[in-house]
Amino acid sequence: MNKNDYMYLDHAATTPMREVAFEAYKKTEMDAYANSSGGHALSRKAKNILEESREFISSCFGAAPNEITFTSGGTEADNWIIKTPFVDEEKKSELITTQIEHEAVLASAEDVKKKGYKVKFISCDEDGITNLEEFKKSINPNTLIASVMYANNETGVIQPIKEMSQSVKNINPKTLFHSDVVQAVATKKIDFHSLGIDSAAISGHKIGGPKGIGVMFLKTGYKIPSLLHGGKQELERRAGTVNVSGVAGLAAALKEQQQNLEKENKLIENERKIFESKIKEEFDVQIVGENVNRLCHISNIQFNNINSETLMVALDLNGMGVSRGSACASGAQKPSHVLKAMNIEDEVINNHLRFSFGWNIEIGDGEKSAEIVKNTIKEII
Amino acid sequence: MRILVAMSGGVDSSVVAGLLKSQGHDVIGVTMKLWEGPNGEMPETGCCTSADSEDARKVAAKLDIPYYVLDYTASFSENVIDNFVDMYSQGLTPNPCVECNRSVKFDHFLEQANKLNCEKVATGHYAKIVNNNNTFELHKADFLDKDQSYVLHMLDSKKLEKIEFPLGTISKPEVRQIAATLGLKTAFKKDSQDICFVGKKDYRNFVGKRIDVSSKGLIVDKYENEVGTHGGIHAYTIGQRKGVPGGQGEAKYVTKIDVENNKIYIGSKDELETKKFLIEEVSFVNSIDYENLSIQTRYNSIDVPCNIEKVDESTYQIELKNPTLGVAPGQFGVIYQNTKLVGGGRITSKVLEEAYE
Repeated sequence: MNKNDYMYLDHAATTPMREVAFEAYKKTEMDAYANSSGGHALSRKAKNILEESREFISSCFGAAPNEITFTSGGTEADNWIIKTPFVDEEKKSELITTQIEHEAVLASAEDVKKKGYKVKFISCDEDGITNLEEFKKSINPNTLIASVMYANNETGVIQPIKEMSQSVKNINPKTLFHSDVVQAVATKKIDFHSLGIDSAAISGHKIGGPKGIGVMFLKTGYKIPSLLHGGKQELERRAGTVNVSGVAGLAAALKEQQQNLEKENKLIENERKIFESKIKEEFDVQIVGENVNRLCHISNIQFNNINSETLMVALDLNGMGVSRGSACASGAQKPSHVLKAMNIEDEVINNHLRFSFGWNIEIGDGEKSAEIVKNTIKEII
Repeated sequence: MRILVAMSGGVDSSVVAGLLKSQGHDVIGVTMKLWEGPNGEMPETGCCTSADSEDARKVAAKLDIPYYVLDYTASFSENVIDNFVDMYSQGLTPNPCVECNRSVKFDHFLEQANKLNCEKVATGHYAKIVNNNNTFELHKADFLDKDQSYVLHMLDSKKLEKIEFPLGTISKPEVRQIAATLGLKTAFKKDSQDICFVGKKDYRNFVGKRIDVSSKGLIVDKYENEVGTHGGIHAYTIGQRKGVPGGQGEAKYVTKIDVENNKIYIGSKDELETKKFLIEEVSFVNSIDYENLSIQTRYNSIDVPCNIEKVDESTYQIELKNPTLGVAPGQFGVIYQNTKLVGGGRITSKVLEEAYE
């Protein structure tokens, strides 16, 4: 949909594909459509695209090519890393994660718990930052995995990843420190090794790449069982014909993003700030994580005395797409578990809306968006 | 005009959305999410399963109208579920669908419509609204076998002015035909009859899980002779035959539930006949005219001619011209004048003298 007709501010959910990504995807699908594991010329062509892309993609995160495996997305990578290593029959292994993780991690952790392992969900403070002391205290010789997202997808608030990974290594060097960086990669340059991240989940469509492609990063030296069984693709780690076109699209998207990251982020941050200040001038609002380190593209706003369910619907009718919490099976949006963990009171938890900006932002979008919100609120109150 | 349509995912509301859209209106579809299990799970049957909202979403997509699922679970739980459980524990027979229309659906829906600049709301109920010189009347549907005016009796003229029931003059087969013509996938979907939050399971289990099921008690006849025991009064309703001990080949029915003494009274069919009773929390569509009235004491029951008499602001005494079976406290008595709905209220277990106290 054209931006003049519809203001899409839900980039944290997914982003439009970058032109270069689409071209790379299409070209691979047209010219190198063979199975990259096959034994003929066209397969070799596909294999070459796959491995060149792998080299480039891994380098963007300071990783070695054989440390990354392509998946169907972030959810698969999180499921794989969190669920498959819990195999010890005495059920002594433990998992530590946080209360504010994405559902992909939370549901995987619940699954581990259901199998009889001890799982701890670390709380956060009222800004949405994980409680570091509680986290440290939870690490013990049985901690198999500690999983903390780099930045939260609903609030954008960045977690103290380096401190956490270091405390894990200090207390139990064998613990795998996993980080869901799906939301963070949209606007952050991340180097896994220097942050002490042992494994990570990445999704292609949050950075202008295709949907249905993701990356599972696992540091050299660690081994985990397969999640999907079948053919021996991806160094025998993951069965299934590799989505080479998706990989090529992701590589192209990443390339454009990395080249323009500073410029893109500056524009996003500027427009977001204009948006927030215009909203603050007019309404009684609180911006989540306003005074802490957060991703530049997410603005989670609490509108006092305004039900955000109605506001979201009215905004859609007025040509703006935003999001509330996470959508449930019926499509109704439930009060967010993240805001609940932040101890946001029941009376105002339904007053929050998430506005998330993306790579295709233009000068003036912040003001234009604030105008739509202002007019819409005036209609519904 | 802009109209908010309540879409359940069934054929009726799908057709309403389709008809209004084809008439050129600016239609917005909404599914009201009313109930979920303790862990957020959707009901398996009834009117708000995830499959149903998925159907509504598909219909909305097909019709190319905006569509939303709005969450009213808190209000539903407070006004309908709690009331449902409470009524059974008081030996009454609740009607959750009426309670939902009365205290959840229409009020929230009209409020939402107002906020979204909709001039009207529409639902797939089978009933008719007649504009009589700007006094809005509620009438039975033209095809009486589908008439749903009973469950809408709480709507007054002021609310009716803002509501459309486009199916009031259409038969069910015709509705399915329209759905098929519009290419809607719900055209031949089965009607749902279950209580949305109980589904196909026994309501007794649902209630039993939510209250401290009262201890066992006695089943007696009208002379206080013990004829059996029961495992909690919530499992009984007036007129119930199932699970009631019979006597000498004659079928016995529950005739009275004495909550205070935890006792179930049973008797023969004729003991169930009622001639006079009270209705409370009464509302009227418009000002009343006492001539030529009749009453339905259950959804889709026959109209029984009656006289009504005011007891206090919201309580009325009903005197039936002929004694009738199965008047159950907790159900609603809905008063008609021919096809016009006059008003209604909840049948109480109180007798007149107590009501005056």
